[in-house]
Formats: sequence, structure tokens, C-alpha cells
Amino acid sequence: MKKHLIPIIMAAAALVPACAPASTATDLTDLGYVDQSAFASLPMFNSARQQLASFQSSLNGQYNAAIRGAHTASDRQRIYNDFQNRYANEQRVLFGPLFERVNLAIASVASTRKLSVVVDKRIIIYGGQDVTKDVVRLLQSNQTILPLGTAPPPSPIGYVDPSAFQNSPQAKAANDQMNTFVQQQQRIYGAQLAHAKTDAQKQQIAAAYNKAIADEQAKVLKPVVDHEQDVAASIARRRGLLLIIDHADILYGATDITADVQNALSK
Amino acid sequence: MSRMHSASKVAALIACCAAAASVMGCTTPNVHSSQIRGIAYVKLDDVVKHDPLYSQLANIDDAIAMVELVGASPRIPRSAAEIARESAQLRSEIASAQARTQHIIRQKQQAYAARTQAAVTAALTAAGVKNAANVAAAMGITSSQQQQQAELQAGRDLMAYRAGVVQQSNAAAENVVRQLQAEAAQRLQAKAQAEQQAESNLALRLSQQDASQRLAIQTRLSMLALGQSERRQLQAQLSQMQQRENALLNAQRAADQREYAAYRAQVMAQTNAAIHAQLANLQTQTQAKLVGRRNAVIQQLRGGVPPMPAASISPATRAQITHIADQFQQQYSHDVQDVIAQYEQTYAALEAQYATLHGADAAASSAAAQEVALLQQRRQTLYDQIVNHIRGEAERLAKAKGLDVVFSGVTAAAGGYNMTNELITDIESEHE
Repeated sequence: MKKHLIPIIMAAAALVPACAPASTATDLTDLGYVDQSAFASLPMFNSARQQLASFQSSLNGQYNAAIRGAHTASDRQRIYNDFQNRYANEQRVLFGPLFERVNLAIASVASTRKLSVVVDKRIIIYGGQDVTKDVVRLLQSNQTILPLGTAPPPSPIGYVDPSAFQNSPQAKAANDQMNTFVQQQQRIYGAQLAHAKTDAQKQQIAAAYNKAIADEQAKVLKPVVDHEQDVAASIARRRGLLLIIDHADILYGATDITADVQNALSK
Repeated sequence: MSRMHSASKVAALIACCAAAASVMGCTTPNVHSSQIRGIAYVKLDDVVKHDPLYSQLANIDDAIAMVELVGASPRIPRSAAEIARESAQLRSEIASAQARTQHIIRQKQQAYAARTQAAVTAALTAAGVKNAANVAAAMGITSSQQQQQAELQAGRDLMAYRAGVVQQSNAAAENVVRQLQAEAAQRLQAKAQAEQQAESNLALRLSQQDASQRLAIQTRLSMLALGQSERRQLQAQLSQMQQRENALLNAQRAADQREYAAYRAQVMAQTNAAIHAQLANLQTQTQAKLVGRRNAVIQQLRGGVPPMPAASISPATRAQITHIADQFQQQYSHDVQDVIAQYEQTYAALEAQYATLHGADAAASSAAAQEVALLQQRRQTLYDQIVNHIRGEAERLAKAKGLDVVFSGVTAAAGGYNMTNELITDIESEHE
């Protein structure tokens, strides 16, 4: 009889690991997010925008006068570049300190709330702590925000700057190939569209064009991106990270693995 | 023996349950393990393609491609370089017309001055004035120099005035066109959004309406013990259901497209009429200003500087000389008026060509850009609607699984829980 109970006990024992979650690591509960669009309406940003608009308007007059005096294409290009630089410089002067203050405010709130990572709201579907109001409140105060003396605590989140990989020979070749293909297809399908008689025909041509572009993207660009992702994932694994996100979405904390990925890709 | 047998049966049953639980355990991993840590991610772009509203998104993408392809099609004859070349050619023709006019005016001034001087010499000789030719020449030099200066200045003033007025008028016209086009775009956008919303609502309503019936059919289809004819019948029912939904949606879409096209035509006609009316008004005002100024200049030239008779000449001869000068002055003014009118005609024609050259392309590209912007706004609205729907489902799923956080924009994953496929199944089951 006891013998017959053995399989029952074994079977019951087999149920245990399947039902009870084994908590082998700490869950990521110290993640915060910020809705950056909330900063756009703050008076400090409004004022900077107005100043930039007025600078642009005075620059436009000067640009028009300068471009009228340009005789060659290279003169025009030089003038255009010069004015672009002046505009970008003014933008930096006006907005640089504001962004700096925003970064300090986010870091300060993250430290107070004991968060290891703060990301942009748009990449969070569920969970995390919304710290937008705290950051806005701090930004609007007259308080001087000092840089934190300590580094953010470690987290399982890493990030990369994908633009750093765009100059790799593979990425450049793929982009060039794709651009040439798009131009060719525009000519081909544009000519077809010119001869199309009904709306249905036109729609078919547009759909075929979109499909051709999507197919080529899958053939030419996707392998390059997949390879970059594989490399990033393998580096993440080595460094004990779980997810890698775009650097533009990281506002505080997380580990930058861009250089590691770049090195691995260049090998 | 029978007891032993029943005990083995119980053991086998529990073992089966255990195995089943283990299998379930494999498909639903421990989300708190060190490889997941309560983190999940979703490849949003993959899920979007399975949403019931995705076909509408694809339609908008096709519409955007259509507008862009029209812009890129070889039907547009002029490249930017060609436009620049033709513009330069026209500008040079305008400049030569201006120079030609000034040259003709100068020649006429000299010719009339010579004729006036000859007539005055004759009058002075007849009156017995000594050295009549020298006296007339001295008078002529003075008057012709003064006249020439006055006329040149008047001509320059008129042209500068004309350029200024035309520039102001063009700027005002651009503002009018921009404002009216922006108003039209707003009206069209509002209409398109309303239609878009109605289509989305219908698509969702239809897919939800048939969801339970569809699920029942699919459940029956998944049963193995189903006769072939019954299976075919059920599949036909499913297919009919889908066709009915598609037909209703297509009918709504076609009706909306017709309504939008009619509305668009109406708005564009109203906008064009308003643009033409306002431009015509501006043109009339500009023309009135130019004609007024031209008449003033001609009046000024007509009443120009007559030859100055010397004080020693008798009053009768002086009156005669003044009369001769007036006569030639009138003829000259008449001649100049014709030359200026001719110049204005040439200028207006060249300017019209210039405006057409720029306006046609600018209008075409501006209309295409507006159309694309409008479509992109519609796309964004629809995309947001789809994403919000997906977010709702993802949230429900995350809560059920005990996850702490779900990301949507992940560049690479070395761990975490990939919820994408489950979410796709979830979204599909809503409308299948």
C-alpha cells in the first residue's frame, strides 16, 4: 500500500515547483518615468522659445540680404551653413541651461524617491512610478538644484545610442542601397501612377510601392539591425543586464553599453 | 488487486496533472526569476499589425505614398535647377526691358531737345535776334539739361515706386493665399477625422458584434471529431461573417470617401473663389496706385521745364518761343507715355511668367505637402487609438501575470519576458 503511495507523493511533489514562484532575484520596482511633454508649457521654456523665435526672425532678414548678394552655389551654401550654425548656437545658449536644470531636477527626484532608473513615459506600457509632477514642482521652484554626489544605483537596464552605429561600413552600405532602391521605385511607380485611370488602380499602385519598399527594408536593413541587436543582447548578457533601450529614452541611471557594442561591431 | 489497480489509476491521474502543470509552467515562466525580474516588453510594431484597425492604417500609408509618388512622378517638367535658370532668364529680360525704356526715353529727350532748339532758332532769326543759333543753343542746353534730369529722376522714381508697390502687393497676396489655404486645411482635417472616427467605431463594433459567434465556430472547428462537411460548413460561415464585415466596412469607407471628395471639392472651390476675389481686389488696388503715380509723372513731365527765353527778347518772341516749347513738350510727353505703357506691358507679361514659373510649382508642392500633413495627422490619430487599445490589453495581461513593468521600446533583450506573441493572440481573439 505504501508502495502505491510513492507515485502519488512524487506526483504531488512535481506540482509544487510549477505552482509556487521562486523569488530568486529582486524585481525591478525602483523604476520611474517622466512625461517630458509637460515641460514644454513651463514659463522658462516658453520664454526661451520666444527669444529663439525673435532671434530667428532677425536672422531671416540678414540671411535674405546675404543670400541676395551670393553669386555662386558655393557662396549660397557657405552663407546657409553660417546662418544654420548661428541659429544652432543661439539654440544651445538659450536651451542648454534649461535642459541641464531639467536633468538635475530628474536626478534629484530620482534620488529622493530612491529610483535606479528614470525613463521617458512613452516607452512604458505598464508599471513604474510617474514622477513628472515632482520634477515640474522642483523646476518651477527658485531653488538651486545641485548635482548629486553619488552615482545612480545599479539596475538591470542598459542603453545604447543607435546613431553611433550608423557610420559602420555595413550600416552605410545598407542605407545607400536602400536610398538608391527608394529613388528607383519612386520613378517606376510614379510613372505608373501617372498613367493610372481609376482611384482603385492608383491605390493598388501605391500599395505595391509600399510593399516593395517594406520587402527591400526587410532584405537590406533588417539583417543589419538584427545583427546590432544580437551583439547588444550578448553584451547585455555578459554585463548582467536584461533590457537595452535607446539612450534618448533614458533620463537617469542605467548602463551605457554603446562603446562595447561599437567595438564588437567593428571587429 | 482492484484496490491496487485503483490506486495506480489515481497516481497516474495525479502524475498527468503534474505533467500538465509542468507544461503550463514551461509556457508561463516564473516572472520573478533572475532572468525576468518582473520586467516584460512588447514589440509594439508587431502587435499593431494584428489590430482590427490596422487595415485602415495601411490604407492611409498607401494614400501618403500616392501623394508622394505624384510629387516624384516625371510629369513635373521642371527641376529646381531649371526653375532657377528660367527665373534668371526672366529677371534678365525684365532688367533689359527697363534699360531699353530708359535708353528710348533718353533718345527721345535728345531728339525733342534738338527739334525744339531748331524751331526756337528759326523763331529768333525771324525776330531779328543776332546769333540766334547760339542764343537758342544756350537756352536749349539749360532747358534740356534740366528736363533730362527731371525726366530721368521721374522715370527712376516711377520704377522704384512700381517695384515697391508690386512687392507689397505680392506679400499681401501670399498672406491671403496662406491664410485661406490654412482655413481650408482645417476644415478638411476636421471632416477627415470625423470620418476616420466613424470608420474606426464601425470596424470595432463589427468585430465585437460577431466575436462570440466566431469564437463558438472556432471552438467547434478545433474539435478533432468533426465531419468534413460540417467543418466546411463552419469554415464557410466564418468566411461569410468576415465578408459581411468587410463589405459593410468597405461600403462605409467608400461612402465616406465620396462624401470627403465632394466636401473637398466644395471647400477647394470656395477657397479658390475667395482667393481669386481677394487677389483681384488687391490687383485693382495695386493697378490704381500705379496708374495714379504714372499719371502724376506724366503730368510732371508734361509740365516740364520750358526753354528759358533771354530777357533781351521781345515779349511777342518770348511768347512764341514758349508756345513752341509747350507744343514739343506735349508731343514728347505723349511719346513718353507710350514708351512707359509699352514698358509696363512688357514688365507685366514677364512678371506674370515669373509668377507662374514659381507659383505653379510652389502651389503644387504646397498642396501636396498639405495633403501629406493632413494624412499624417489622420495616421497619428488612428495609430494612437490602436496603441491605446494595445496598452489596455497589455496592462490586463501584465496584471494577470504579476509583472511589475512592461516596456514598449526595447532595442535589445538579454532577458525579461517577451509578451508580444501573447498580446497578438489576445488582440486577435477579440475579433476572431
